[in-house]
Formats: sequence, structure tokens, C-alpha cells
Amino acid sequence: MEPLTWTGAIGPYLNPALGLAVAVLALSILTHAGLAIARLGGVARPGAGAAGSHAAAAAGRVTRWSLFAVLALIVIYLVAGIVAPVEAKGIIGRISTRFLPVWIALAATFALSIAFKRRLGLYGNLFDNRVGMIGFALVMFWVYSALFADVIVTHDPVGDVISGMKNKAPGTPLRSPGEGVYGYYLLGGDALARDVFSRMVAGARVVLTIAPAATLFAFMVGITLGVPAGYLGGRFDTALSFVANLVLAFPVILLFFLLVTPEIIAMGVPKYMAEVLFLFPVVFLVILWNSRFHTRPMTRNIHVGLTVLIGGWLYLGLAWDADPLGLVSIPGGVLIVFVSVVFVNSPTVFRIVRGLTLDIRTRDYVAAAQTRGEGAWYIMLWEILPNARGPLLVDFCLRIGYTTILLGTLGFFGLGLPPDSPDWGTSINAGRGLLQFFPFPPLVPAVAIMSLVLGLNLLADGLREESLKD
Amino acid sequence: MAKWQYDGPVLEIDRLSISFFTRLREIPAVMDFSVTVQPGEAVGLVGESGCGKSTVALGVMQDLGVNGRIVGGTIRFKGRDLGAMSETELRGLRGSEIAMIYQEPMASLNPAMRVGRQLMEVPMIHEGLSAKAAYDRALAMVEDVKLPDPKRILNSYPHQLSGGQQQRIVIAMALMSKPSLLILDEPTTALDVTVEAAVVALVKELGRKYGTSMLFISHNLGLVLETCDRICVMYSGEAVERGSIGDVFDEMRHPYTQALFRSIPLPGADKNARPLVAIPGNFPLPHERPPGCNFGPRCDYFEAGRCDAQDVRMTPVHGNDRHETRCLKFREIDWSAPPAPPARSETAEPGPVVLKMEQLRKYYEVAASKIFGGGAKRVVKANETLSFEAREGETLAIVGESGCGKSTFAKVLMGLETATGGTILLDGQEIQDIPIQKRDTRTVSDIQMVFQNPFDTLNPAMSVGRQIMRALEVFGVGGTEAARRQRMLELLDLVKLPREFAGRMPRQLSGGQKQRVGIARAFAGGARIVVADEPVSALDVSVQAAVADLLLEIQRENRTTLLFIAHDLSIVRYLADRVMVMYLGHVVEMGTTDQVFSPPYHPYTEALLSAVPIADTHVQKQRIVLEGDVPSAIDPPPGCPFQTRCRWKAEVPGALCETQVPPIRTVQGGHQIKCHLSEDWLARMEPVIRIAAE
Repeated sequence: MEPLTWTGAIGPYLNPALGLAVAVLALSILTHAGLAIARLGGVARPGAGAAGSHAAAAAGRVTRWSLFAVLALIVIYLVAGIVAPVEAKGIIGRISTRFLPVWIALAATFALSIAFKRRLGLYGNLFDNRVGMIGFALVMFWVYSALFADVIVTHDPVGDVISGMKNKAPGTPLRSPGEGVYGYYLLGGDALARDVFSRMVAGARVVLTIAPAATLFAFMVGITLGVPAGYLGGRFDTALSFVANLVLAFPVILLFFLLVTPEIIAMGVPKYMAEVLFLFPVVFLVILWNSRFHTRPMTRNIHVGLTVLIGGWLYLGLAWDADPLGLVSIPGGVLIVFVSVVFVNSPTVFRIVRGLTLDIRTRDYVAAAQTRGEGAWYIMLWEILPNARGPLLVDFCLRIGYTTILLGTLGFFGLGLPPDSPDWGTSINAGRGLLQFFPFPPLVPAVAIMSLVLGLNLLADGLREESLKD
Repeated sequence: MAKWQYDGPVLEIDRLSISFFTRLREIPAVMDFSVTVQPGEAVGLVGESGCGKSTVALGVMQDLGVNGRIVGGTIRFKGRDLGAMSETELRGLRGSEIAMIYQEPMASLNPAMRVGRQLMEVPMIHEGLSAKAAYDRALAMVEDVKLPDPKRILNSYPHQLSGGQQQRIVIAMALMSKPSLLILDEPTTALDVTVEAAVVALVKELGRKYGTSMLFISHNLGLVLETCDRICVMYSGEAVERGSIGDVFDEMRHPYTQALFRSIPLPGADKNARPLVAIPGNFPLPHERPPGCNFGPRCDYFEAGRCDAQDVRMTPVHGNDRHETRCLKFREIDWSAPPAPPARSETAEPGPVVLKMEQLRKYYEVAASKIFGGGAKRVVKANETLSFEAREGETLAIVGESGCGKSTFAKVLMGLETATGGTILLDGQEIQDIPIQKRDTRTVSDIQMVFQNPFDTLNPAMSVGRQIMRALEVFGVGGTEAARRQRMLELLDLVKLPREFAGRMPRQLSGGQKQRVGIARAFAGGARIVVADEPVSALDVSVQAAVADLLLEIQRENRTTLLFIAHDLSIVRYLADRVMVMYLGHVVEMGTTDQVFSPPYHPYTEALLSAVPIADTHVQKQRIVLEGDVPSAIDPPPGCPFQTRCRWKAEVPGALCETQVPPIRTVQGGHQIKCHLSEDWLARMEPVIRIAAE
């Protein structure tokens, strides 16, 4: 079989068009910049103003249209790739076809959200914001990829080592594909002859499980400590802030290296840390319910009881690896990664929450709660915390992005996750040795990390902008 | 830029319409608005919040932001159309020909620049003056706004000045290049009453000195009466009445203006005999304005089929000077008819003493260094020997400016702080040392509080019903969820809110409605003493009356003791039975309302009374302007707390005022004054406010 080209049969028609559109776009942007500089220098000449602004307006129009053309062509590549007959498909077309479930899910999400956006609160308002929508699309692309990874992958990302496919270019056909085996390595093969495309998709699943969960735990820890620090102040606040500063001042990478050193693991340090850190969500929820429902003992007992039961079960499984039912457990390597990420993120969350609390506790509704004799925890968790949710939500999005990069860094140093894990950092590390000759194995996961983090940042921007409106 | 000469009006706004464009719809903020400002004239623009008065000011400055646009009409400044000017021309005009003074002085000054440099910028940019000449001009200007030690002021940063001083700097900056038009947008709302009086006097004097025309935007009719020659009343984006101060105040020809005057407490109003008349209904939202007359749905004279059938135009009132009204029926209405006699309510007899304070003191220790706790400690004396008693069913007003210790007093009473000395007796039980966590539910629910800021008093993340039910839960009212829900709905009835509001979020409510929910929450546990901390000062005039009357009505029914903290003496005179005036932690005067509002006064009370603007042309006031600011409580003056600003200090022999705290003297009938002035001197004091014979 022939190796695949990038664009397949539609390439000869569309490629020149795309080239032209990109060239026009680049030219018009250059003209725009040039005009702007000329206008800045030409303030002294009053007559030139009108002519200059005309030219600028024209350049702006050309930029807009050429950008539109480029985007339209990219969409055509993807759509045509799906509808074209199998033999006419290029690499892009085939990838686009593999991602079909993701496209459908994305389209359904957007169609439903836009249709009901007026009834969806802040989430609905996001669809009035172009930047937020782009960010949301990028994030949801990877979320759905992680969800449907089993259908999308062409080969087993870890187990399928096919001879002769080592360090092959994208679109290389398998030498002798067996029955029911996909005939190509769409984005080439890596140094161990595994399929780069499948590893990228499977990597999304690893990253998107660990990053949001770790961020959530970091928030639990940061909130449980930050709200009382800001509300109660005094020695408690001074001590906690000092510890937070201490952790923040410690070099992150060094901390990670320490945590994965076999001697340290043998001492049980990561395990102890997990035992402490994982306790926070359970404690948080128990306090949350108790402060709210202490006036209604029956409701309180149900809520607290359920939390202790479920939380305790998960806690036993995750932190002690001692689930009596044998259902919940977490591999040692992942646990270390998880603990380190939570540990370095929670001080920052702590400081943000503490700052927000300092601001909100001066409000009259907090004073009103105090004057009716509410307990400190009720005021902290039910009067203050819900009103800090806007900035916290934005930070949560941003922080998932940082955590993703942190996971990449950890994987790159070969820390924590097993060496054959398909996560993006590990893949980049595995491919970096031969980067000069075979760029694809490390390049693909690098682009994946970049697009996910970019999406999260844009989403955070959009949320921030929308939450400030009205 | 050279200033051009022009003989006509300084500002002519002709049929101006301004709209804001949101993603849902176009919101008309100002419609068909016209006003003319002649040279040297001061025009007041009055209306409630949301009526579009600030939008007019921004329209004049051509600074409406990305969403705002002028959709009709013209704004002419000295005969030139501002809408047709280019950005460059406007830049030359702003700050040099048209200057603006905003509400928040701190937000108008650059915190990173010395005051001197900020002032010097104005003539240096607009007139190309040298730095030396600009500095001289700045120095002269700072002297003009009567700031002490101008050289030091020029060399300081904004945060080193007090609020009143900052506003004076802002005024100086606005007048630096001798503008033809000065726009003042609520310039004194953020200031204390006595400081406000001084700033207003200054603006008036400087306006006359430089011949500046002024557009004075305010919600306070009394302030406009004191400062302006002409007035324009706005309602819901339209001018409804326009004319000279005398015509509009004494011969108003629009029902809204009339209703506005009837809803503010003027001297003579009385909570039992002549209660205020609140304007029924709510201010319409910009996109929900009724057809025809905007005020129609709330108007007493509304005639269906006529008032709502056509657009109403401004019509001149004959016989007056440029007096116009936007009312179809103004010729038919009998304007001299008194308001319908309201249901007279019985004067409530105060019952037994429920709350008694004796020699209450509250000091704070401020450590010099926070981290190590060492260093010299300084003592802030927030409350100094407070003694009073409050009876059941009585309204006791506590009056004073910011920093006088009235909030600290409330905190100690509520149990958020414990007293340093003295006693608080609730039903004969000492509670001054029991913090709120240790008080029993009964005591906590007995003393409740209504807060000042309606936008802050409710938790924005919780529905109205939930918040009231939470209070019921905490106070142990009602055994079941259903019982509490029923009680919550009854409380909503009590504060005259529809029951559907239970499911609403606070942001869906107007300021007055939020304040009502706050009152319902305070009365959830059957409170017997309610501390109301300026409950109406942040509300619009027409809503103030309704909320104040609601408080009084609930008080009358439940025989609640109301401790009403306020700085607005007009409302205090209206609703208080007894008044307590505080200054720098001391009670300087206490007595029944009549005793405090008539001589003899404590010198501070006298100044306070003179400072409060009264919207009545028949009232003649003695003008007493207090110099300087309230001293800091960390470093109070020795002797009498008021001696630094007192104008009668010279009347006391020797250095008594500087060395000794005056004793509390009972003048007559329980009227207490803390002053060194001799008794017969006090007896000779003249009243500050006189009502001229009609």
C-alpha cells in the first residue's frame, strides 16, 4: 500500500486555495501594522488623517475576509475528509473520520447550549462570548476525545508494538495488517513502534482524569484552610500563611524528585501526605452539612452519616489502599503524582481564598449572620464561600491548565507515571532523543497539551468577562 | 486652546435622547431632554437613582462608553454642537472649558501622583504654561479652596488627605483652568454632613467668584435649594418639570414633584399627626415604561384614556419665568389642596425600661507592630461613658457623623464586641461581657439589627425565603419546615412584600424591597430591640418614606424599642421620640426630640442642624460652617472633644475647654448637655432654623 498523503484526493484543489488565503491574510496584517505605525508618526499632518483611515478600514476588511476564508477551508478539509470515499481520504480526512463521535457530541452540545442559553445562567452567557466559545470548544474537544477514546484509537496505545513501524512518518501503511486491524499509523510510529495517534487520544484520558481531580482536591484543601484563615485571622492565619509561603518558596521540581526517590517512598512520606490531603474533602463536607443543619438534627444526621460512609470508603481505598470491598484503589505512581500536584497547588488556592474571604467578611450580610448568632463555620461556608464562587471558578479553569502542564513536566522527567503510560508528558520525553530526525512522536502530544491549556485559558477569560457583565 | 467668546447660553441641550445598547435590547436612558444653562447660572438636576441624570452629564462630556449612543437631539456648548466635534477638539474642551466633579473624591485622584503635579497638569496641558507658572496657579487655587498649609498639601499624596480635603482638591482641579461650565455629579454624597455644608458653601462662593456656570446633579432637594438658581426635575429618563427654584419649590406644577416634596420629612412633618406620603408603586425599569406619561401608574391624578393615550410634551406654565411641566392636567389640578388627611395614629406611650446602659466604655488597643505583638500600644477610645435608657415602644435616635462611635456602640450592644467598662442591662440582666456566641437564643433574637446598605444586607447567593427561614431556624421558631415556611410568608406579608418574593434572589429586588426583607429577617425571632443602622440613608427619597413608615408601623404593633442610628437630622426629627447626639465617642447632648431641636443646643448640635439642607423655601437657617475635620479617635484632643472646631470656645473663661472634659449638665426636663458654657449663656442661644411666616 502507498503511504497516505496529508490531504488525499481533495488536496490538489484545496491546497492552492489555502495557500492563497494564508498569503493574503499575512499581507493584509502586515499592511495593517504598517498603516498603524504610519498614523502614529503622522499626527503632525492633519490632512493625511482621512486617507489613512480609509486605507486602514480597507485593510481591516481584507484581513477579516481572508481569515474567514482560511477557517472555512480548514472546515472543508475536515468535512470533506469525513464524506469522501475511503480510498480518497488523506491523513486529515481519516483522523477527522476517527473523531466523528467527538464532532457529533460537540455539535450537539453547542446546538443545545445556544438554543437554551438564556436559561442557563453564567454557562449560557458564555455563548455570547467568542473567546469563551473557542475555549469551551477546545476543552470539550479533548473531554469528548477522552470519553470516546476507546472508539477513536486505531491501535492499542500501549500494547500494540508492530514490527517495522519504528519511527515511521505519518500515514505509513502497516506491512501486513491482520484481519480487522487498521491499516495505517495515521501520525506515524514512535521509537517503540507504537501508534502516535492512538497514544495521543489515550493520553487525553490519563491527563483529563488526573488534572481536574487533582485540581479539585487542591481546591478542597485550599478552601478548608483559606476561609478560616481569612475569617478568623490572628495567629492561625499568620501560621498558615507562613506555611503556605514556605511551600511556595520550595522549588517544585526538587520537591517532585524528592517525592519519587525510592528511599522517601520507602519511608512512606507520599503515603502520609495522601492520608492527610485526602482527609480534607471528607472533613470539608462534614463541616459543611453540620453547620447548615445543626438546627435540624435529623437532616444533619442523614447528611453527615452519608458523607462519612461514602467519603470514608473512598478515603480508605484511595489513601490507605485498604478498601474493604476491593473496588477503589489507586496505583502507587499515580498516587505520588496526585499528591505532589495537590501539594504544590493548594497553597496558591489558599491565598486566593483567603484574600476573597478578607474582602467578603466585611459585608453586611456577614454581620447579619453574626448578629443572629450563627456559628463561625456556617458564616464561612454558607455566607462567604458561595459569594466567592465567581473568581474561584475562573481560577479553577486556569489551574486545570497549570496542572496539565505540571503533569506534562512530571511525565517529561519520567516521574511518577509508569514509563509506558500514554500521557502526553511521558510521550514527549520518550520522543525527545530523536527530535531532529523524527519530529512527530514528541510534536503531536506537545500540540495536544498546548491546545488543551489554551482552551482552558480562553474559557477562563470568557467566564471572567461574562461574570463581570450585567 | 484659546477660549472663545459667546454671548448666548453656555449649554443648550435640545431634545436629547440617549440609549444604551445591550445584547438583549436597546435601553433608552434619556428621552427628549432639554435644558439651558445661562452664563453664571447654576442649574440643579434632580431625580431618583436610575432617572438618567448622570447619563445627561456623561452625554455632555461625550463620554458614554462603548454601549451608549446619542440617538437624537443636540448638545450645544457656547453655540457649538458637541456631537459634531472630533476627538481632538473634545479633548481640548474637557478639563479646560467643561470640568466635572464626581461623587467619589478618592476615585477621581491618581493615587500614585502628588496632588501638586495633578493640579499643575491641567494648565500645562491646556494652556501650555511653564511648570513654574502652573505651580503658582496651583498654590493660589489650593488657597482658594481654603485648605490649610497649601505648600504641604501640594506635596502630599491623595491618601494622606481626608475625604473632605480630597474633594476640595478635586474642586480645585476642576477650576484650575477657569472653565465656563462645571458639572457636579453628587459631589458631596460621600461626605459627612458638616463637611458637606462646608464644601457646598465653597462651591457656591467659587462659582460666583469665577462666574462659572454649573450643572448640579443631586438627589437631595435641600442641597439644590441651597446651591442653584434653577432646577430641572427628572423622572424615568425625562425632564418632568423645569423652572426657577422659587417657582418649582412653591408652585410646583407636576404631580411627581409634588409627591416628591410630600415624601421628604420637612420641618412640621410628624409621624403621628402628619405622616409622610410615600409614592405608591415602583420606579419603572427603562424597558418597561408605560405608554404616555411615565409617572401615570403612580400618579394620584391619573386619568385612563388620556394620560396613557399620547406622548406628553413640555408645556409652559404662564405667569412664571421659563417654568415648564410635562403634565396634561396641570391646569385642572388644584395645587393648593392639602394631601388627603391620613389616618392619624395614636401616639404610643413608652412602656417600662427594657435597655439601660451605664457608663459604657469601649476601648480598642492598637498594637504598633502586628507580627511580634511588641511595641507601644495605642488606645482608641471608641465609646466614652455612654449612659442612657430606652423604654418599650420608644424610638431613640443616635445621631453623629462617621467616626463618632455609633457603630461601635451597636457592636457592643449586639455582643459582637465586649465592653471595656460599664454595664448594659437588658431587662435588668447584665449582658455587656457576654459575647454573642455565649448568649442564649432568647437574648440574641431579642436584639436584632437592620443594616444600612440594601445591596449588602442580603446574601446574594441565597433566595429571599431561605434567608428568612434560616433566621427562623436559628431562633428556634416553628417546629417543622412547613411551619417555618408559613411563618416566613407571614413575615413577607408583614413587610408588605408579595409572597412570590420568597423564591426570588436578592439581585432581582430593588433597594427598598431588599431593605424590607432585611426588616423581616430582623423581626423573625420577635425582636424587642431593633438597632436600625441608617436603614434608609442609601434609599431613594420616594422609597425612604415608605420604609421608615413600615418600621414605625411594625414598632407600633409589636411595641418594639427602636434604636435609630442616623446622620440625617430631618428624618430623625420626623420619627424619633428622643435623640442622642454623639461626637468622638462622647454623648454631647440627649433629650426629647423637641428639646434637642430647639435651643439651648450643644455647639456641635447647633452646627449639625445648620449643616443639614432643608428643601423648604420658607426655612431660614443660621449659617454655621465648621472648619476642619473630625479629629482621629486614636489621638483625641485633650479636654472637650469638640473644642478644636467649636465656635463658642472663646465664651468659656480660662483654658477649661482644652483641659477638662465637660460634665453632663441637665438643663431642664431631662435635657442633658455636655458643655462648659454657662447656663445663662446657653439660655440666650438662638434657634438655628426658623420657619418664615407663610
